[in-house]
Amino acid sequence: MTASSGTGPSLTTAAGPAGPPAAEGRRRSRLPRAVRSAGGALSAAWLVLLLLGSLTAPLWEPYPVDDQEPLHTLAGPSGSHWLGTDQLGRDVLTRIAAGSWISVGPVLLAVAVAFGIGIPLALTAAEHGRWVERGSSRFAELLLALPSVIILLAFVGAFGVHPWAIMTVLGVLLSAPVYRIFVGQAQSVRTLLYVDAARVNGVSSLRVNLRHVLPAMATTIAVQAAQLFAIGILIEAGLAFLGFGPSVPSPSWGGLIADASQSVYTDPWLMVPTGLVLALTVIAANVLADTVGGERERERKRAAAARRAKRRAARPVVAGGTAARPASMTAGPVAGTVAAADPDALLDVRDLTVAVADGPALVTRVSFGMRPGAVLGLVGESGCGKTITARALPGLLPEGVQVAGGSVWFAGRDLAGLPEHQLRAIRGREIAMISQEPMVALDPVFSIGYQLTQPIRRFRGVGRAEARRIAAELLGQVGITDPRRVLRSYPHQLSGGMAQRVCIALALTGSPRLLIADEPTTALDVTVQAEILSLLRSLVKTTGLSVLIVSHDLGVVADLCDDVAVMYAGQVVEAGTVAGVLGQPSHPYTAALLGANPHVAEGLPVPDRLPSIPGTVPAPADWPSGCRFAGRCALATAACADPVPATRAHGAGPGGTGIVRCIHPLSPRQEPHQAHGLPVPRPVEPGVTS
Amino acid sequence: MLTYLARRLAFAVATVLAASVVSFLLVHASGSSPGAITAGAGASPAQVAAENHRLGWDQPLVTQYLTWLGHAARGNLGVSLIDGHNIWSDLLNRLPVTASIALFATLLSAIFGVLIGVAAAVRGGRLDRLVSVGSGVALSLPQFWVGILLVYLIAIKWHLLPATGYVTFSASPGQYLQSLALPVITLAITGTAIIARTTRTGMITALRQEHIRTLQALGTPPWRIRYVHALRFAGGPVVSVLGIQFIALFGGSVVIEQLFALPGLGQAAANAIDNSDIPAVQGVVIIATVVVVITNLVLDLVLAALDPKVRTA
Repeated sequence: MTASSGTGPSLTTAAGPAGPPAAEGRRRSRLPRAVRSAGGALSAAWLVLLLLGSLTAPLWEPYPVDDQEPLHTLAGPSGSHWLGTDQLGRDVLTRIAAGSWISVGPVLLAVAVAFGIGIPLALTAAEHGRWVERGSSRFAELLLALPSVIILLAFVGAFGVHPWAIMTVLGVLLSAPVYRIFVGQAQSVRTLLYVDAARVNGVSSLRVNLRHVLPAMATTIAVQAAQLFAIGILIEAGLAFLGFGPSVPSPSWGGLIADASQSVYTDPWLMVPTGLVLALTVIAANVLADTVGGERERERKRAAAARRAKRRAARPVVAGGTAARPASMTAGPVAGTVAAADPDALLDVRDLTVAVADGPALVTRVSFGMRPGAVLGLVGESGCGKTITARALPGLLPEGVQVAGGSVWFAGRDLAGLPEHQLRAIRGREIAMISQEPMVALDPVFSIGYQLTQPIRRFRGVGRAEARRIAAELLGQVGITDPRRVLRSYPHQLSGGMAQRVCIALALTGSPRLLIADEPTTALDVTVQAEILSLLRSLVKTTGLSVLIVSHDLGVVADLCDDVAVMYAGQVVEAGTVAGVLGQPSHPYTAALLGANPHVAEGLPVPDRLPSIPGTVPAPADWPSGCRFAGRCALATAACADPVPATRAHGAGPGGTGIVRCIHPLSPRQEPHQAHGLPVPRPVEPGVTS
Repeated sequence: MLTYLARRLAFAVATVLAASVVSFLLVHASGSSPGAITAGAGASPAQVAAENHRLGWDQPLVTQYLTWLGHAARGNLGVSLIDGHNIWSDLLNRLPVTASIALFATLLSAIFGVLIGVAAAVRGGRLDRLVSVGSGVALSLPQFWVGILLVYLIAIKWHLLPATGYVTFSASPGQYLQSLALPVITLAITGTAIIARTTRTGMITALRQEHIRTLQALGTPPWRIRYVHALRFAGGPVVSVLGIQFIALFGGSVVIEQLFALPGLGQAAANAIDNSDIPAVQGVVIIATVVVVITNLVLDLVLAALDPKVRTA
């Protein structure tokens, strides 16, 4: 951070806005992209023109620099003097042009010096580990803590006005923030696999730096250079304005403004041209940095999203073997188009369609139901719309995604049609949620006590002390043995499992009837997973809570759920009781999921390779009108290209009916756990589903 | 926490020492000598040498530095070569002027910057774009240029405020505020733009955090989500930028004090350099560094207090 960059905006603050985070990309996307890059292009053009113009100024200046016209002093713009004349009748355009190189050139030098020192230092520090890094970081911190403008002035006081030398000193001072920014980046680039590989292969360290590390930092260098340039221009102008700038043969822009300020009372116009040129140059540099930086942010975001997708895809789809509990048939999912809402159901989702605003649907005509006290599992690979479906129920869809059709009947009301403030009254009180990543689900700056008592007081209308007592009680209920201590802690002091327990306690603050748990154990260690699952099971048993679990883990579903709905590409492809669906799958996709189960039944040989489902879930825009799984299904025929209706399956219980969405469902006799008998095709790689 | 504090303090002292060495070396490397200034123009080399001897300039560098440091540590920065005034008391008299400007400008930037930044982040749309463009322009305008423009419009054309000069608080609180208004507004324009941008980015980042979704799932009222949780989350960066702003305003005051004829530290720096008043230059560097270092120290403590990870460590 620039401790003191004096007249200009400090580097840090300029760095803040530099990368309008990609998140904002969407927010700004109403502004056409072309305009934004046009801003960048215009800025670049202005800077290039300025540079060329300043270098060639003597060739095109309309008048000799010191040509005075005593009869034409302080004239406004005219045909002969486009920007007017000054106190001595000198042409303003000529003066600006003549002063341009001495305004811009030394600043370029300052930027070059800052990078010339800062980057090699950062590379060395990144390469030579802790001690070198610590030493140079201390040095940089020291430079940052010096009042740079005062130091510059002291330098002027000692050596007189030498623009190039002064800007060299500024460059040295600015090398500290440059170092600060790049040392972190250099370190992380060096840990990238391919850079590491090059090093291990004996490529010289200079070559590693030149070939790999520097190119990876190129965008940041460009952004920082543009920003430093803007800061430098402002500092230089400030010094020149004070009279510490070049004066012969022609002053720099800051000096011109100082001249103009002499007659501002009588002739304010004189301030305008130079001020504008100066401001435009700084704006151009900042816009350029914004544009380049924005591009970089977007790339980074894209890369991160791709990595996340890959990580999720790499998770094996795990089946829980044959341990499915005998499920009650009471809460069977309801098929597509039944007319009236089931009066006994707690939740009855009908033909729910969720879509991106003016975009493709992410979830189409999803239907399922839940009885009070039942546990329903929503399973499928990543990207099938499980989380979107779950979030749509209490109206917590991400911005830009909305319910486009269907209904969500909950306790006699259609939540899909409720306005936001009525939904807010339901959230927490009747429907609560716990999320995938407990470590980031709690506010890092507030204590657990505050975060628990706040909703307790709101939901139950009790005082502070009583709320704290209830909070401790809830923590006890979710299996925390030392509630007092946990209440005093902050999220960073908790383990993942502990944090998930706190999140569950938080969800219980409003005594909801339905708990939506989105992959509640995915981010946790295996042993902790089991603990959280047994906690959920005991909560269902003791409180009569209904739970909707979103999971890719068939083991979790088999273990915990009464009913299951298998989702594929935004549709429910098979639903019914756990015993029915997982014991005798009808849909080839369900069977394939079960076949990709890494658990090996006793007595069977361990396969060399784990079967996996080839291909990936198609993106919403690419869904075929027929069966969406057909492209990956070994049993697909030409008939699968036609729309497939949901048909009843898995018997009809008193409460609901199972369904399957396949024109040639597997017969119950086909044994689901013998891979060769199933449409589980060619194994690809162990544990990888796609 | 205590070791952290000790480390920061040690670093602060080191910074001040480094600044003193830098300014000392700068002055001695320049080739000019105090004797040439006190003896006046047209003095013979012998007279200059005699003056230098009187001022101790002919002693070894280390001796001179240690003597100077010893005096400085006891609050004695020597006397001005020009008018013989005590530099320490002169700078001490000037400190309130610069501190007033920097403090008021930081305060204004904080209030308006946070308001504008929050509004831009929460409202989005047209207001957000307006703030983005407006703050971008405000950041790019040279402060002295804005200052001159304000003087022209507000003081000269509309006669609303005095153009230049300074009235002490004890002389007249009302006139004191009036005399500070224009310089403070000038500085606060840039400051507001910077704080608004930081706040906006911070709020947008905060509102996208997973824990905000937890709060939404609990039906937490939107005002509480925005102004308690998100704003608190965005607070850290805003506070640290505010600290940097304050420091930058102290340094940047040179230009503004010159422009508005304010008798502050910046004016002292400019005068000392104009007159090659060597002890005064050294004094200004030291005082400015001390201010920066103290601000950084306070900033570190505030940030540590805001961050439970540091606080509970």
